Amino acid sequence: MSTLIGNEFTKLRTIRSSWLLLVIQQAVIVAGVSGLAAAGADLDTADGMRTLLSHAGVASAILTLVLGITAVAGEYRHRSISDTYLGTPRRGRVLAAKLIAYLGVGALLGAVSAATGLVTTAAWLSTADTALDLSDPPVWRIVAGIVGLNVLYAAIGVSLGALVRNLTGAVAIALVWIALVETTMANLLGDLARWLPNRAGMGLDSMPADAAMLPQWGAALVLAAYAALFAVVAAATTVRRDVT
Amino acid sequence: MFMTKRSQALAVRGLTKRFGRVTAVDDLTFDVSSGQVTGFLGPNGAGKTTTLRMLLGLVRPTAGQALIDGRRYAELVSPRRVVGAVLEATGFHPGRKGREYLRIQASVAGLPASRVEDVLGQVDLVDAAARRIGGYSLGMRQRLGLAAALLGDPATLILDEPANGLDPEGMAWLRALLRGLADQGRTILVSSHVLSEVAQVADQVIIIDRGRLRFAGPLAQLGSRLVAVRTGQLALLHDALARRGLEVTVTGESTLEVRGASAEDVGRVAVDERIALSALTESGASLEAAFLNLTRTGGSA
Repeated sequence: MSTLIGNEFTKLRTIRSSWLLLVIQQAVIVAGVSGLAAAGADLDTADGMRTLLSHAGVASAILTLVLGITAVAGEYRHRSISDTYLGTPRRGRVLAAKLIAYLGVGALLGAVSAATGLVTTAAWLSTADTALDLSDPPVWRIVAGIVGLNVLYAAIGVSLGALVRNLTGAVAIALVWIALVETTMANLLGDLARWLPNRAGMGLDSMPADAAMLPQWGAALVLAAYAALFAVVAAATTVRRDVT
Repeated sequence: MFMTKRSQALAVRGLTKRFGRVTAVDDLTFDVSSGQVTGFLGPNGAGKTTTLRMLLGLVRPTAGQALIDGRRYAELVSPRRVVGAVLEATGFHPGRKGREYLRIQASVAGLPASRVEDVLGQVDLVDAAARRIGGYSLGMRQRLGLAAALLGDPATLILDEPANGLDPEGMAWLRALLRGLADQGRTILVSSHVLSEVAQVADQVIIIDRGRLRFAGPLAQLGSRLVAVRTGQLALLHDALARRGLEVTVTGESTLEVRGASAEDVGRVAVDERIALSALTESGASLEAAFLNLTRTGGSA
C-alpha cells in the first residue's frame, strides 16, 4: 500500500502540469487577496485582515479540487487507467492509495497557499502601516482552515473524478455546482444552505464567523462527512465498473 | 530469466458479455496453449477487445469465465509477473518521460528498477527513454507498451492489435520478437482484424465473429497453404521434401509448389539439405478466403 501511495506522488511529480497548477494557485491567491484589498477592505482592523487571509482558502481550494479530479479522471483522459488496474487489479486499493496520497497533496498545497496568503496579507497591511499580528489566535485558525479546506477538497476531487471518470465533465460539474447550483440553492434554502458542501467549505476558513455559515468545527465535520460519503460511493462504483 | 517449460495457458469457458441489449461476446469457449503464438482474429466489432479485457479483469463477464493459469486475473498475486498486456486503448500521460513511466510500472509490480533498462533494450527504446512520451511516434508508443508488458518477464503475453501504428519494418521486428518469446515456452495471444498480419507468425488461430467462435485450431487447418519455391537444384529439393511427407508439385523447369507446410518449414529443409533457393513465397490467398468465408457466412442473417 505504501508503494501505491508513493507512486501517486511520483505520478504527480513527474508531470509538469502539477507544478504549473501550484504556481497558478499562488498567483490566484495573490491576485484575489490584492483585489479585495484594492476594492477597499479595511486594512487597519482585525476583521479586514482576517477577510483578506480567509480568501486564500476558497481561492486555493477550487484548484486543489481540480487537481484531485485529475487523479482518476485524468487517468481516463490519458487512457492510462487500464495500465493502472492491470498493475493493481484490486481497484479499491488503487482508489484508497489515491485518496491517501491526495490528502497529503491537499495538505501540502494548503500549507503553501496559507503561506502565500499570509505574505500577501502582510504586504497589504504594511501599505496601511499595520503589521500582521501573528499572536492573534484567529490568524492560526484561518491558517488551519485553509489547510483543512484543501485537504478535504482534494479528497472530494479524487472521489468525484472516480465517479464521473470524464475529466472535462467532472471539472464542469464541480465548477457549475460551486458557481451556480449552490448559489441558487442558497437563495431557495435560506438558513439550511450552510449545510451544502461548498458553503460548509466557506465556513471552514471564514473568520470572523459569518452568521450565515456553520462555525469552523462544525463546518470541518460536515465537509469531512461529505468527503467520506463521496469516497464510499466512489469506491462502490469503481470496483464494479467495466473499463473499456 | 524465464527458462523453464510451462504448460500454463489461458482458458475461456462459456464467456458472455452483454452491454445493455448488445451481446458483445456470446458463449465463447477456447483454450490458448503455451509455447505458441495464437492469433485472435475477427472483423472490427467482433468482440476481440472485450474478450481480452475480460481475461485481464477490466470488464466483468455477464456469464462464464476467463482464466489465466486457472485463476481470474484479480486473483493473481503478482499479475505483472504472470501476464503482460498491451491494450489498444491504452495511453500514456504525454508529459511523462518513457523511463519514468516504466519505473512507476515496475514499482507497482514490485520489480527492480534494473528491469526497466532490460526491457528498454529489448524493445530498442533506450535512446528515447529520457524524452517525453508526447513526442513519441505511434510505433514508439507500441514499443513502450510492449516494454511495460515485458517488465515482469511474464509467461503469458496478451497483445491487442499490436500491428496498428507499426510500419512493415516494425511489424517484422514484432513478429521476430513474438516468435522468440513463444520459442522460450511462453503463451502469446495476439489479436488482429487482418489475417495476413498474424498469419506469418501464428501457430494457432481463434476466429470470432459477432461474439461467437467460428474457428479454433492450427493455422494450417484453416486453409491449405501454398509455398512456391525456385531453385537450381530442383530434383534434390523435390526428393528432400517428398521424404518428409509433403505434397510437392513441380510447376516449371526450376520451380515447385508445396502444400501443408510453411515457407519457414521449406526453408529449413533447404538449409538442412544445403540446397540454395532463389525464391521462396508463401501464398496466403486461400487463408484469407477461408477467413472471410468464416466471418461473413452469418452476414445475411
